[in-house]
Formats: sequence, C-alpha cells, structure tokens
Amino acid sequence: MALKTLTAEQRQALAVLRESIGGIGEEKRKAQKELLAARKAIAKLLEAQPATVPQIAEALKMPAHEALWHLTGMRKYGKVTEAGEDGDYPLYALVAEQAQPAAGH
Amino acid sequence: MNTQIDSSYRPDALVVGGGIAGLQSALDLADQGLKVLVVERGASIGGHMIALSKVFPTLDCASCITTPKMSAAAHHENIQILTNAEVEAIESRDGLHRVRILRKPTYVNFDKCIGCRLCEYACDTEYRDRFEEGLGAVRAIAVPFTNAIPQKAVLDAEHCLTCGSCARVCPTDAIEFDQKPRTLAIETEAVIVASGFDLNSVTVKPQYNAARSQNVIAPMTLERLLAPHGPYGRVLRPSDGKIPGAIAFVQCAGSRDESIGVPYCSRVCCMYAIKQAMLLAGALPLADITIYYMDIRAFGKGYEQFFQNAKAMGINFVRGKVARIDPIEGGDLRLHVETTEDAENPLEERTHDLVVLAQGMIPGWNPAQTTPVACASDGFVATPRLTAPTATTAPGIFTAGTAAGPKDIVDTIAEAGAAAIAASQYLFQKRETAVAG
Repeated sequence: MALKTLTAEQRQALAVLRESIGGIGEEKRKAQKELLAARKAIAKLLEAQPATVPQIAEALKMPAHEALWHLTGMRKYGKVTEAGEDGDYPLYALVAEQAQPAAGH
Repeated sequence: MNTQIDSSYRPDALVVGGGIAGLQSALDLADQGLKVLVVERGASIGGHMIALSKVFPTLDCASCITTPKMSAAAHHENIQILTNAEVEAIESRDGLHRVRILRKPTYVNFDKCIGCRLCEYACDTEYRDRFEEGLGAVRAIAVPFTNAIPQKAVLDAEHCLTCGSCARVCPTDAIEFDQKPRTLAIETEAVIVASGFDLNSVTVKPQYNAARSQNVIAPMTLERLLAPHGPYGRVLRPSDGKIPGAIAFVQCAGSRDESIGVPYCSRVCCMYAIKQAMLLAGALPLADITIYYMDIRAFGKGYEQFFQNAKAMGINFVRGKVARIDPIEGGDLRLHVETTEDAENPLEERTHDLVVLAQGMIPGWNPAQTTPVACASDGFVATPRLTAPTATTAPGIFTAGTAAGPKDIVDTIAEAGAAAIAASQYLFQKRETAVAG
C-alpha cells in the first residue's frame, strides 16, 4: 500500500484534533501498548498450534473474556480463523500471511 | 443522501430518527411528492432493526428486509438524510417548525470518501464495538458495520491516537481532522418524531447480578451472537468462548416491575425470546433452552402459532419468577426460581451457563424539554387522541413507532404509514386553506 506523506495542512489539522480531545494521555498510550502486546502474544502462541480461549488465557495469564475479545478483532481483520473444536470450545488458528503475487501474474 | 444541506434547505417534512419507523414514514411521504429530511443521530440509518438477526413470526432475515428500505430511502429523490446529527430543539410558530440540528464531526468528508476501508485497515487501535454490544472490536476509523448506510468511514475522536495513518493511505484525501460540530436551523411545515427506544440496563435489578457475570446478557447481545456476521461468527458465551449447553431466558426482567420504575409491559419480549430460543435450537441442537415467564403474551397475527411451534420444538417453558441469579464457579449461573409447576415444592434451583434478561423498553429521546411535544407519564411521546393515534400534543408534529410506546416491528411499520398519511393530510389541508384564504 502506497503511503503518502502528510501535507502541512494535514499535520496542522491533526494538531487541532489532538488539542480538541485533550491530547493523547498516558492512559491511552498504555492501553494501546497493551493492545499491541496482547495481539502479538496471541499471534505467537497460535503460530505453534491452534488453541481455545481458555488455553490462550492460561498460557498468557490473561482473563478469558479479554482473550476472546482480542480474537474477535483478529478474526474480523483476517489474522485468525476458526479451526475445529476441542470439547465445548472452538479452536483458533493463525491465518498465514498472504504471499506477494509473483511477478507477471 | 446529501452532505451539502444547509439552513437554506426547506423540506416539507422532517423526520426525527432513521430507524424503521422513520424510514417508512419518510418513504410514504416522499412517494406522495413531498420533500423529506431524515435526521439520524447514529452513523448509519436502520436503527435497532438492522442489528437484529431474524424477525418474528416469519423468521425472515432482518437485514434482508431492512436494507432494501434503507437503500430505497437513501436513493429516493425526495429524501435527504443527515446521519451523525441530532435534533436539539424545535420551535413552532404560525404553522412553521424551526428545527435546530447539531451535526457532529465525522472527520471524514463524505463527498470524497468512497468507502474503500483502506483507512480502517491502516488504523492499529481497536476498542469495544457498540454495534456489537461491546463484544466485538472496531477500529478508531471505520465504516460503522457491514451493511451500514452510508458506507462511509467515521473517525471516533475518543479512541483516535492521532497517528495520521488513515490520511496517509486515503486515496481521495477524504480525512478532515479539523472538522468541528456545526448547527443547522431548518424550517419545515410538519415533523414526525420517530426517535425509537432504548433498553434499560441489565444491571437494573441487582439480584440478577449482571454486573458480576459476563454470562448474564441483554437480548440485543444475543441478537448479535445469532447474526451471521456477529462478533464471534457463532453463539459463544462472552466470559470464556464456551459453546453454551444450557441457556435460560428470564422474562419481565426489566418491565412490569414498579420497583424499577417500569410498570408497563414492553410488549415484544415474549415474542423475541421465543424467536431467539428457536434460533438457538437451530444453532445449538444439543442445548437445553428454558424460558422462565409470568405469562406469554402472543397477541399478534400468527404469534400464538409461533409459540406453539416453539413448544413443539422442545423449548422448555417454565411458568414462574426468577428471584435471584448467583454466579458460580466456572462461569455458570444458579437461578433461584419460584415455579407454578409443583404447588408443594415451588422453590427450585437450576443451573445454566448463559442467561438472557428480558430488559424493559424505555424512550430513546425526551422531546418534552426542547420541543412543543409533551410526553406521557411513562416518558414516551403522548398521543392523547384515541382517534388520531399518531397525533402528538403539538399541531403539525406527529409520532410513529416506539417513540410513542413499546411495540413490535409490524405495528411500528403500520403506524409509520399512518403518521405519514396524517402528516401529508395536515400539509395539504394547510396549503389549501392558505390558498383559499
């Protein structure tokens, strides 16, 4: 995906938005850091083998409902998929990164 | 759809609310050649109905019957729609209504946005999606949901980290970080209040302990779990992702109860509980499904047969009242029930792994403070004339759907048509009188 550079007007507009929402506080930064860390940890765990929500929660010392919520986001945006069931729980597996199409195709 | 509307625009009628009642009223007015402006506070039209899985008693797919109405309204030459906009006040004088509307910033120029969602894919912060009743995840800039109309991205400033990624990938330079709220003043001759309903909280009765268990859920949450593009893609319980095996519906959990200030019947809970039970029986064939009820109110056309079909499918109907719900180990729930099944031993304890509380329907908007429309003692829009059920206390202002009181979709659509006819009749008579005078 081609990334554009922000124009001076866009940077100025971003500053206006940042100011209008009272800046990006420590709490928001911490929450974002935790979100990215949790997603990374779940992806790493599922790289080894598919797992259920309680298995993920136990391995990562995370409340089960939070693990389930992260999986909904990862599923929605194509990072994980369901891969069968283990007893009363669905198994979740990592979706392989899409390979770049070969040149000429 | 038109984003260029300003205070010079003068529709014949203005509809408050873009749910199924507002859309039906708008379509019925527009088909008579009248210009209509629909004002919707959310990011999409469609209201509660577009979030439902299926509807009773036909089990039609809700989005299959709602999206054609949404689309018809959005593309009608006589209808203009403002989303992300709220009616702040209405002043009525000399047969004209001056409506003050707040247009909230979306931070996206809708004329430029092509709904490609590249901004959404580029955004790397997610939060709990209100459309999915908090169970799913949505990004800080996103098209509101799969079948939303308009299909335009909206930025949530509360969750945005102002990283600028969205603007870097937007192919049409549609992102406008410096948008501000704007106020419009629109003059119109007739108004239809179709502002819909809210549901009271699942925590309104502390003895049901919804605050202590994620497995005590609201009926709208179950609708999303049952919807084909819901948050989990299937029915799982929210605490740990388990496929539930014993599901309970607790009826009258938020209405017909003086102690929580909702003495009236919400009129739809019996039927949606039966519908949801039937859908669960299809989705989870091994699950035990129990409905705890005081009495089943199946008063509409085909509703009694629907109830009988549910019984024949093996749904358990237990007449009684749930006194208390206690969360127990493993995320399950113990229900303390007084039943009428065994007169000698009316008190029972039963265990379920997911419980749905039938919440009460409450008004979605209180127009009494800022408009000439009065509300009744239950908080819904007052309709004092029995022979004119869509007329409010204010001349030229009509109402339809659940804004006027709890009702189901069938009754809402019938009433929306009636409100449109009442409004157009009012307009044509007013204009004839003006010409004659």
